[in-house]
Amino acid sequence: MAAQQTANGFSLDNSGKRVVVDPVCRIEGHLRVEVNVDDKNVIRNAVSTGTMWRGLEVILKGRDPRDAWAFTQRICGVCTGTHALTSVRSVENALGIQIPDNANSIRNIMQMALYVHDHLVHFYHLHALDWVDVVSALKADPKRTSELAQSISDWPMSSPGYFRDLQNRLKKFVESGQLGPFSNGYWGSPAYKLPPEANLMAVAHYLEALDFQKEIVKIHAIYGGKNPHPNWIVGGMPCAININDVGGVGAINMERLNLVSSIIDRTIEFVEKVYVPDLLAIASFYKGWLHGGGLSSQSVLSYGDVPDIANDYSAKSLLLPRGAIINGDLTKVHEVDLVDPAQIQEFVSHSWYKYADESKGLHPFDGVTEPNFVLGKNAKGTKTNIENLDEGGKYSWLKAPRWRGHAMEVGPLARYIIGYVQKNPEFKDPVDMVLKKLDVPLTALFSTLGRTAARGLECQWAAEKMRYFQDRLIANLKAGDSTTANVEKWDPSTWPQASKGVGFTEAPRGALGHWIQIKDGKIDNYQCIVPTTWNGSPRDPAGNIGAFEASLLGTPLAKADQPLEILRTLHSFDPCLACSTH
Amino acid sequence: MHIEREFRGEGPGGRQVLSYYVYEAPVRLWHWVNALAIVVLAVTGYFIGKPLPSMGGEASDHYVMGTIRFAHFAAAYVFVFGFIGRIYWAFVGNHHARQLFILPFWDKAWWGEVFFELRWYLFLEPKPKKYIGHNPLAQLSMFFAFTLGATFLIVTGLALYGEGAQAGHWTHTLFTSWVIPLFGQSQDVHTWHRLAMWAFVVFVMIHVYAAIREDIMSRQSLISTMVSGHRMFKD
Amino acid sequence: MTETFYDVLRRQGISRRSFMKFCSLTATSLGLAPAFAPKIAHALENKPRTPVIWLHGLECTCCSESFIRSAHPLAKDVVLSMLSLDYDDTLMAAAGHQAEAILDEIKKKYKGNYILAVEGNPPLNEDGMFCFQGGKPFVEKLKYMAADCKAIIAWGSCASWGCVQAAKPNPTRATPVHKVITDKPVIKVPGCPPIAEVMTGVVTYMLTFERLPELDRQGRPKMFYGQRIHDKCYRRPHFDAGQFVEGWDDEAARRGYCLYKMGCKGPTTYNACSTTRWNGGVSFPIQSGHGCIGCSEDGFWDKGSFYDRITDIKQFGIESNADKVGMAVAGGVGAAIAAHAAVTALSRAKVKQGNASQEQKQGE
Ligand code: HEM
Ligand code: HEM
Ligand code: NFV
Ligand code: SF4
Ligand code: SF4
Ligand code: F3S
Ligand SMILES: [Mg+2]
Repeated sequence: MAAQQTANGFSLDNSGKRVVVDPVCRIEGHLRVEVNVDDKNVIRNAVSTGTMWRGLEVILKGRDPRDAWAFTQRICGVCTGTHALTSVRSVENALGIQIPDNANSIRNIMQMALYVHDHLVHFYHLHALDWVDVVSALKADPKRTSELAQSISDWPMSSPGYFRDLQNRLKKFVESGQLGPFSNGYWGSPAYKLPPEANLMAVAHYLEALDFQKEIVKIHAIYGGKNPHPNWIVGGMPCAININDVGGVGAINMERLNLVSSIIDRTIEFVEKVYVPDLLAIASFYKGWLHGGGLSSQSVLSYGDVPDIANDYSAKSLLLPRGAIINGDLTKVHEVDLVDPAQIQEFVSHSWYKYADESKGLHPFDGVTEPNFVLGKNAKGTKTNIENLDEGGKYSWLKAPRWRGHAMEVGPLARYIIGYVQKNPEFKDPVDMVLKKLDVPLTALFSTLGRTAARGLECQWAAEKMRYFQDRLIANLKAGDSTTANVEKWDPSTWPQASKGVGFTEAPRGALGHWIQIKDGKIDNYQCIVPTTWNGSPRDPAGNIGAFEASLLGTPLAKADQPLEILRTLHSFDPCLACSTH
Repeated sequence: MHIEREFRGEGPGGRQVLSYYVYEAPVRLWHWVNALAIVVLAVTGYFIGKPLPSMGGEASDHYVMGTIRFAHFAAAYVFVFGFIGRIYWAFVGNHHARQLFILPFWDKAWWGEVFFELRWYLFLEPKPKKYIGHNPLAQLSMFFAFTLGATFLIVTGLALYGEGAQAGHWTHTLFTSWVIPLFGQSQDVHTWHRLAMWAFVVFVMIHVYAAIREDIMSRQSLISTMVSGHRMFKD
Repeated sequence: MTETFYDVLRRQGISRRSFMKFCSLTATSLGLAPAFAPKIAHALENKPRTPVIWLHGLECTCCSESFIRSAHPLAKDVVLSMLSLDYDDTLMAAAGHQAEAILDEIKKKYKGNYILAVEGNPPLNEDGMFCFQGGKPFVEKLKYMAADCKAIIAWGSCASWGCVQAAKPNPTRATPVHKVITDKPVIKVPGCPPIAEVMTGVVTYMLTFERLPELDRQGRPKMFYGQRIHDKCYRRPHFDAGQFVEGWDDEAARRGYCLYKMGCKGPTTYNACSTTRWNGGVSFPIQSGHGCIGCSEDGFWDKGSFYDRITDIKQFGIESNADKVGMAVAGGVGAAIAAHAAVTALSRAKVKQGNASQEQKQGE
């Protein structure tokens, strides 16, 4: 094959030099990409491969549905909690269980705490080094760094002395010759555009954010007992509340509520004064680098999340936008129905799984997960020493989910685009603010940077929503309702002989759904379609390429043997491979 | 067969009554103390796993689980040291004192008797045989259900006890340290300890039934034997 | 940011004087003249940080996530000052062959002197291709890097026991580290995930005292895994009193009674949660109202529902537990006894009748 047009409108050409990046680091799990570059080092073909599979859908069969949250939560420790929440929702949906308002508030607070934490850690610890040259920070003038920092934020840790100390420690570190996680980085690459002062400021905040992130998750510890992997229950939340009576010290009480409140305040402040200003400052140096849009200008999907009204999962109750945009038609947001067999389907023609008929997709209620590891006939190397994969055959442990046949991008950018075109001011206004500040057109949104910016804005949105739901919880307690769980259908003997349900959330990385079938009190079938399954999906029988692959096309590499630009764009999705394959 | 003491007398209806001294005093004492300990262990053990309905009020006002567990452990000590004492008696006591611990496994005739007893219980034999000690079937079930069962309960029980007693306690050193790794984890030891309790309950049911039945059917004394030590043959 | 070994010692509360004393003791024990002590001191003060290679197999990365939550010491100090985290695909700047080159470099340069930290585990089915990196099975990478390491830290329940992917039917044959690497000390730090401060506690112990922590028979550091949650649970008085939560959000739950009846596995789980607690000591599962699910125990996924106190026995099928089996057998035996007694009574009556008629005949 040379040049070829995909069904979703991308042109692929795999005749040029093949570059392999494996492992793709600074992500969760194991991802490999292979790209073909033309003689100008521009990417003309991209192949993304999930290189791990654990079989959770297989393992869940026959188990108690009330335990499923704990299993599925272990799909990922990075977006910890979101699978558990999705799971309890699926069981509640199957059994018709209504949760109390307090449980809804607490779940939303926990989900938003995850957003803030995950986005913050992603930006500083997984993504920043694609834009920030740590070594260049050694050349910075601490005084000018201080001026820069103070010009963008009134965050207190910004004196020249602070940056000088930090730079000295950094110098000593580099001089030791042991660069630790910074070894073999792409330092000095022409792709880095920040001045030394901005680099030094970013390094400082890399460390501050590392210290601060552990504070945010204390919210999970308070309501869920620990983080990562807090506890949940079908029917509500396990943390009883007691603000009046004897024994209140053994439950969620005033002290605990105050602790949550103070963390929320500090979180809002950190995001507002450190994350968002850093994001804008860094973006302002990279405005010219508008690659990586991929599917975002065409097909995006969001299920919506954060129910304002407990137990109401319809679009009107969900504070995060819901809908699908296809074929780049921004005038129409389609309704999404997770149980309609014609809408969401998973294909495996290019995935290491087996279906009876692989030309067709399966709705997750009828989903099948049966591993089948075979390489395409043009693969190079051996089964256990792969040099090049063959994208003409099976080539990934991810299935290929499609919405009405379309490959979709999901995640913060998808949510913001949908919110924007729905003219929801909570999403439209901040986007307009950023576009104006950076002085770029709306189309700049459809890019690697747009994705990274949307995540930052969403982090701020989520921090404020924690406050909203914490206030709501307090108000409800004040009104005399301290219920946290509904146990009417706790006992499996109260369940129908067979039932099925779907639970969904918007996970930090995008649309997440769990489909459960319960028979005789046990799980009969359990299927998950995960954000990174959407974004990182391999091709489908019609030849549609997924969001990762699409986003890499057309990107020029400064140096073909240095995958800096590839990392940049892939990282903008915040890939999670343990999630995607599960 | 070695017979310690023989006694002849008149039974009711002028029939001859033969009497042998079978169970020496320590065995009899042990039997009843042991039976009592096991009843306490099974009842308390059951409630350790499935506790009684909760009590309200202050924790310091109650000690229900504490008491149940204490009773279990106290009875366990009686059971364990009784069992050790019983093993000791197997060495120094009479022939019957050894029956619990050794099976004449290679003795064809003995197996024949086992099957005879089996047929008797299945109503396939018209008349029972008489034994001075345990009948072979009883001996077989005693060995497997009681002797091995008791050993299993003691080993797992002491291993569980050592968990609470903490490292350094003899039960921890001698049992917990290897029993838990052997089973994989503590939860499994609980499960099997509990299952063994049920095996014991079943054994006791059969045992008590058989004792009463044989007492009536086989025209030889059983229950009173465990009281007086003498086996009486009524014809 | 860069501290020497000596700085680390100082931070752990060891004074200059005892450091110098330590150096002269070392000198004597090596049979060297006291004059060598300052040389040893100099060497230690400038000693390179111990390289750590952190590999990821089949896992969910919760162990890394937990690690960076460490409050004392702070994760950044561990990673940047106490040791040298030279390879960790979750955090490192490099990728692809630039990343893989580091493995060979450390393996050669620090032969026998680097620590191998493993998160997750290798699957053995499908020739190991359920988890591959650089085109090759993860298990190969693990063996390759284990060959020249000083010791292995098995992070979390994945590396220690197998964890969720090894739950039945373990489709990938996910296998814990100690079953694949048998010729190196493996320190298991189980938990799903382990507590952050336990993780950094184990690492700093090794750096500070220059030896492996004392391990129990199952390979866990005794200091953190020597006792059960239940042994030091603050709800224990309610357990002893027989005061239990009977249902979620009931009066007892609001008073913080014991969670035993809700399936709490604290009595069978070895971990430091009830003492060290989580996230800087803020809480731990039980404190927030949910029972312990036994996440640091071998095979905790396969013991039946997390909400059952009497757990399943797989050997008897998924649905059975000791009570169900026991009661069924006892019931059956009880019925059999009753039937047997009835038949006995019947046949006895017959025999008696027979005897009676015989006696009658004789009488005639
Ligand atoms: C927890 C309850 C009990 C246990 C574990 C138990 C156990 C035993 C054992 C181990 C022996 C053999 C003694 C030896 O050879 O040293 C035995 C004998 C005997 N037990 Fe029990 N026993 C229990 C309750 C009872 C009760 C309630 C009765 C009376 C109704 C009873 C009647 C007898 C009799 C008659 C013998 C002698 C059997 C024979 O002579 O072959 N036992 N028991
Ligand atoms: C006839 C003998 C015995 C019977 C029938 C018996 C029965 C039981 C039962 C049913 C349990 C509850 C298991 C669970 O659900 O977790 C239990 C627990 C226990 N047993 Fe025994 N047991 C016996 C002997 C012993 C012995 C000899 C010891 C040694 C000290 C012992 C120590 C324990 C301990 C420590 C526990 C756990 C208590 C707890 O978790 O709080 N048991 N036993
Ligand atoms: N993809 C993914 Fe997740 C998220 N966000 C979950 O659903 O990361 Ni681990
Ligand atoms: S130990 Fe459990 S929680 Fe940690 S990586 Fe493994 S699955 Fe995740
Ligand atoms: S809550 Fe759990 S660990 Fe605590 S006392 Fe009760 S059973 Fe033990
Ligand atoms: S579930 Fe795990 S976190 Fe601790 S309290 Fe139990 S070991
Ligand atoms: Mg799936």
